[in-house]
Amino acid sequence: AAAGGGGPGPEAAGGSEELVLTPAQLIRSLEQAWLNEKFAPELLESKPEIVECVVEQLDHMESNLKRAKAGDLKVSVHRMEIERIRYVLSSYLRCRLVKIEKFFPHVLEKEKSRAEGEPSILSPEEFAFAKEYMANTETYLKNVALKHMPPNLQKVSLLKSVPKPNLDSFVFLRVLERQENILVEPETDEQREYTIDLEEGSQHLIRYKTIAPLVASGAVQLI
Amino acid sequence: MEPAEAEFLAEKELVTIVPSFSMDRVHLIGGDLGPFNPGLPVEVPVWLAVNLKQRQKCRLVPPAWMDVEKLEEIRDQERKEDTFTPMPSPYYMELTKLLLNYASDNIPKADEIRTLVKDTWDTRMAKLRLSADSFVRQQEAHAKLDNLTLMEINTIGTFLTQALDHMYKLRTNLQPAESSQSQDF
Repeated sequence: AAAGGGGPGPEAAGGSEELVLTPAQLIRSLEQAWLNEKFAPELLESKPEIVECVVEQLDHMESNLKRAKAGDLKVSVHRMEIERIRYVLSSYLRCRLVKIEKFFPHVLEKEKSRAEGEPSILSPEEFAFAKEYMANTETYLKNVALKHMPPNLQKVSLLKSVPKPNLDSFVFLRVLERQENILVEPETDEQREYTIDLEEGSQHLIRYKTIAPLVASGAVQLI
Repeated sequence: MEPAEAEFLAEKELVTIVPSFSMDRVHLIGGDLGPFNPGLPVEVPVWLAVNLKQRQKCRLVPPAWMDVEKLEEIRDQERKEDTFTPMPSPYYMELTKLLLNYASDNIPKADEIRTLVKDTWDTRMAKLRLSADSFVRQQEAHAKLDNLTLMEINTIGTFLTQALDHMYKLRTNLQPAESSQSQDF
């Protein structure tokens, strides 16, 4: 094919799920994951299948472009698209790293106490990074302050002192799949709880905690 | 989300261009575009349209809603109603800025259009500030914002959610532990 024939439908197989996405759907999934990660107060499930497949697509396209004639208009169009996709991917990974650094003891604790079939919130590389970050922080605190403290004050529980993500934050969302009877908890003692239905395509402002499972399942998109 | 990021998303919207060059179908990762033939209109995403226009390889065709009469109607409707009117494009603000910035020569009455869109935006933002204020005062737990565009939500979003977070922290610290537990079921 001419320079940069990306080709339709290479399969994107997941780990435990068999996902077959077209490249266009893959990029849409990446963008969804990016936006959700950006606006969610906690670190979301890691999406290794999406990240790996996007990197594969980008590498494949890059190697096609290397073989193409330089200065061809098509090449620059492909390059522009590659830059855009790279931006979303980098921003997504950076956003996750910021949250890992911010909530590191809780992230590690959650990962340690994860049940067998539950999806991981950290990729293997992120897990290694989080552990190293924790070890470095502990060493730093010990060397800079703790070892100079009286013996009974030389321990600090990072799990207790580092703030947890605030799952009660408000978030904006758009509904992708209709949901019924979502419970809205009252803000004050005078109010009563009530339920709402989420119509497809509608947009809402609501506390993250109530709709967290809907973000994980892809029924809503944070905006 | 930075305004530039909202604009990044808006750049995926399709717009019609009339190319002055030839190119056969391009198989991008995100989908196919073209083929391109001089003089024949074709749809491309805004990010490409703006780039081609800058390289003087095409002329941009303004979207149907980017028209003085239509925008006047919308502005008047917005001023009349208390609620938010549905906008012709979820990215009306970003697209207006991009297209008028790079292709104002292809858009008739560009200055009037700029003013009309700005007036509509100002009215909507005023309404949004009012409704955000009432949301916080009445301590609502939920709001439906169907006709708001991403740029509008984004402009007020961070401030509003952080303010609500602060209010929540202040409120839960005032209540003794037992009564705040009673809100959970």
